[in-house]
Amino acid sequence: MATIDEQRHQMIRRIVMHRHDSTATDTILLWERLACELTAIIGHAGFDTLYVRAAHLARGQHPGLPVAAGPNFDLLRNYLLQTPVQAMEVNISLLTILIDTLTRLIGEPLTTTILHSAWGTDAVDTAGKEPQQ
Amino acid sequence: MTNKVTIQRLATGVPGLDDLLGGGIPEFSFNLLAGTPGSGKTTMAHQIMFSLATPERRALFFTVLGEPPLKMLRYQQQFPFFDIGKVNQSIKFVNLAADLLDGDFDRVLARIIDEVRDFSPSLVFVDSFRSVVQSAQGMDLGAAGLQHFVQQLGMQMTGWLATTFLIGEYLAPEAESSPIFTVADGIVWMSQQVHRDALVRKIQVVKMRGQSQSLGVHTFRICDDGVEIFPRAVLKSASTGAGELSIASNQRLSTGVAELDSMMGGGVPAGYSLLVVGPSGSGKTVLATQFLAEGVRLGEPGVIAAFEKSPNQLLSQALNKMVSAGEVGVIDTRTLDLSIDEILHDLVKMIVSMQAKRVVIDSLSGFELALAPIFREDFRESLYRMIAVLTSMGVTVMMTAELEDRYTMLRFSSYGNAFLADAIVMQRYVELNGQFKRVISVVKVRASDHSKDIRLYDIDHTGVNIGDRLVNHRGILSGMPTLDQQD
Repeated sequence: MATIDEQRHQMIRRIVMHRHDSTATDTILLWERLACELTAIIGHAGFDTLYVRAAHLARGQHPGLPVAAGPNFDLLRNYLLQTPVQAMEVNISLLTILIDTLTRLIGEPLTTTILHSAWGTDAVDTAGKEPQQ
Repeated sequence: MTNKVTIQRLATGVPGLDDLLGGGIPEFSFNLLAGTPGSGKTTMAHQIMFSLATPERRALFFTVLGEPPLKMLRYQQQFPFFDIGKVNQSIKFVNLAADLLDGDFDRVLARIIDEVRDFSPSLVFVDSFRSVVQSAQGMDLGAAGLQHFVQQLGMQMTGWLATTFLIGEYLAPEAESSPIFTVADGIVWMSQQVHRDALVRKIQVVKMRGQSQSLGVHTFRICDDGVEIFPRAVLKSASTGAGELSIASNQRLSTGVAELDSMMGGGVPAGYSLLVVGPSGSGKTVLATQFLAEGVRLGEPGVIAAFEKSPNQLLSQALNKMVSAGEVGVIDTRTLDLSIDEILHDLVKMIVSMQAKRVVIDSLSGFELALAPIFREDFRESLYRMIAVLTSMGVTVMMTAELEDRYTMLRFSSYGNAFLADAIVMQRYVELNGQFKRVISVVKVRASDHSKDIRLYDIDHTGVNIGDRLVNHRGILSGMPTLDQQD
């Protein structure tokens, strides 16, 4: 049985893959909705901090990934357009790192609540499930 | 018939706070939760919010430039009151940092009003409001701009029928001239003080419009469940007649030692405080146990606050049996940083729940030691309040006090606390015929006849056994009595 972390990672992968055939703009919409929800609660500075750390760590696998998202995620959008083959994995890495960090800081239930608000029913409810060792 | 508006008071969910506020927080009021850093303002605000918020009574929590929201959410959810199920349903967190950075108060106000309009909250929190004030000062917007902002905010929130809490770090109420202090309907002040290694938290309702708050400074703790306040015990005015008890003037309680009852004129008058004073090993705790056991025998539950040792060490077999059977409750005094109100709060709670008639405080010196140093300075005054509150509940209180036998002087307690007691029983050691003997005497029973005898007594497995009067001796209290010379 998958652990809560694995379930969350699978959920992120599924949501990103669902948009893989769409345009980069459609993928960026995921980020915008997440940023909108998170910024309302933790502020722009809070979101930027999480994003920069996620980008910094993801650069290990994806050199050239800008460490900042840029206004309206323009820097990320441009990078995804330039690297269409890697775009899906870049998104998965970034979102996974950022959401894992958020989970470590504020816990699974609150993170899931925020993801639900941002992505609606696409976000799997892993809150309240027993952690698997 | 009156058609005056009735202000609904909301129960805050913070133990003890509603008593301080005068019955709860007035609906639609505009309040300031202020205090020193780390004094528990945000914790108490969350506790109030999570307690009050429902789908019908929603809450908006604005964070500004104080504690980073990520950390606030991380730490606050450690408390059991933080119900994650309410987040984004009944409770919404909104960060205002970006709006404030521009220094435009009108924009901040507009953002708050927009959010209030969209979410229709009944409760609004702004944490930390001090950030707003500092922002005004830093950007040289001046007091006038801030005053306008505060007045507008107060008016708007009331207009939108929101009960509002501004949370801010301030050093002392009198040192502040911020317009918020004028505009606020209610001001709650929280602080923490370190005095000789002990940290004590205090809370004061400085102002609460439209209702009579509990005056003075009260103590509180931040425990695993959140903030718990111990309202300063004040004896209710007799003129109000509220909760006044009538005790038959001839009602007496047996001490469990028949001879001592007889010496006291028929036992301890009900509702009296009795001080048993004697040197170490004189049997004060034994007598206190007999007092409780007699109550249990008569179907009167008791409560003991044991300060001398840890309760496990203190409990004699007889006492342990009564405690295990639920006939006597024990107040566990774990630490040495208690306030008298905290102990009294626990005592009153246990007396009420057990419907106790007898209370033992063993001993006053241990009690004093259990208090945080800052409270020891007011021990006498605090003890007076405590005895008054307990006896007004109709319970009979037995206190023990250990005093070193100084045979050149006659004292009944430290700091002259003996005057607080309605009755005093004294135990002493005397040297007689080459042996240490114990003597007991009733020094005082207010408004009652009592024996003036000094009698020998012993302690065995059955308890205190009072023997004959020590006759034909003089200088008994000197510790070395001599036989009277018969003419």
